Amino acid sequence: METKTTTAAQQFYTDYNKQVHMIGRIIVAITIVLLLGAPLTMGAVLGVSPDWAAFAKGWAQVAIIYWTSGVIEFLIYAPMLGSGASYLAFITGNLINLKIPCAANARDICGTTAGAPENDVVSTLSVATSSLVNIVVLAVGVMCLVPLSPILSNEALQPAFENVIPALFGALAFKYFSQSLKVTVIPLAAMCIIFVLMPSLISNVSMLILVSGALAIGIAYLLYKNNKL
Amino acid sequence: MSILENLNTPLMFIIAAVPIIFIALTCLFFLVKSYRAGLAMGMDKKKLKTAITSSATFTVLPSVSILLGVITLSGTLGIPLPWLRLSVIGALHYEGNVADIAARASGLPGGLGSGVLTAQTFVTIGMVMTAGILIGAILCIFVLKSYLAKVNKTGGKAKDEKASGKKPFGDVVFSAMFIGLVSAYIGSYLGTGTSQGNWTPLIVAGVSAAAMGIFEYFSRVKNVKWLDNFSMACSMLVGMAVAVVINM
Repeated sequence: METKTTTAAQQFYTDYNKQVHMIGRIIVAITIVLLLGAPLTMGAVLGVSPDWAAFAKGWAQVAIIYWTSGVIEFLIYAPMLGSGASYLAFITGNLINLKIPCAANARDICGTTAGAPENDVVSTLSVATSSLVNIVVLAVGVMCLVPLSPILSNEALQPAFENVIPALFGALAFKYFSQSLKVTVIPLAAMCIIFVLMPSLISNVSMLILVSGALAIGIAYLLYKNNKL
Repeated sequence: MSILENLNTPLMFIIAAVPIIFIALTCLFFLVKSYRAGLAMGMDKKKLKTAITSSATFTVLPSVSILLGVITLSGTLGIPLPWLRLSVIGALHYEGNVADIAARASGLPGGLGSGVLTAQTFVTIGMVMTAGILIGAILCIFVLKSYLAKVNKTGGKAKDEKASGKKPFGDVVFSAMFIGLVSAYIGSYLGTGTSQGNWTPLIVAGVSAAAMGIFEYFSRVKNVKWLDNFSMACSMLVGMAVAVVINM
């Protein structure tokens, strides 16, 4: 990618990044307050407050799984996304099934390199656009919930909507597997064997992603170190 | 008024709309800011626009699927809360599961939808769903800046690698992580086929991959570059269409 290689451009990126972190932190803090405030306000309207004992019990059960995987997701995905996109992605959600593949797709099309300032810009554009489109689609969908319901709940179309994620990961499989078959073979074979032998793990794919990802990164590291990539 | 009617009043929609509008404005702000930053850094305007259009087309189909998640949850939690959750911080695979855990913790032993939902149970579920997914946002406030600074220290190294003609290791890790992610899903589809006899996800993934291969051929080999923006969405559509056909 052709960019201004002057120190002025580098200085601009440094200043931009500083601003992004400052604004990002403030916005995320406000978002957390707004998000926690929403159910509490709904409760106030209904004249009730949460059952705090049940909340603590439910939260503990959820946190064991989702706070653990959330920390790992943060450590893995934040460097991929860069600063601006990270602040947006972690408050707009749908990370694995939408934002990460979307940013990766944009990055691939634009030919940017992970960790580079250009990648930061492209990822931010991608996650911001994706979040806005998702918000608009859902807002329009909710407004049209009554007229849209017969179409969306049409029995013939259900298999299509139930298989959006396999369709997404199938398309991504071609993109990434074809880039490096050497890295692909072992994690893919390992995951196929694990899920065939232990189908009970199918409901915990998000945990297995971490195992598979670590395996792929380990293999990639060895190949890279030995100049085999 | 039933509990569901109470949950679907205009006031509830307004309460849900406040964070959604705030986050939409945030996205718009970052979109403009990063676009201007890209231009100031000398990036090609065409590429910046491509990043936006390709991301928009990429998002439409998954968003429709996320909308179905809203519809599914709206039967038990009303429309405003699932709309809020899936428009912003939530995740499709997370919401139903966590709502169910929260419902059980709130005294519905059969889980969400198994008994009469009270207003207090609803608020408790909403709080668990929100607090249960906040870790990423909290880490962004306290850790992101220093963490990225640490990771980017290897940036100079990456530039040296690039200069020496070697692929930057950051790129290798990125691709490897994605290979791991996709491998886990493909493996789970095979497991679904062998254990439940449901081969549709695997077939859909295979067809989408084949469609993507055809699009990539035209885009990379035949140089039909405009296809890049639509290849992902179109490949998904082909796969989804096959799901309808094999289930007829």
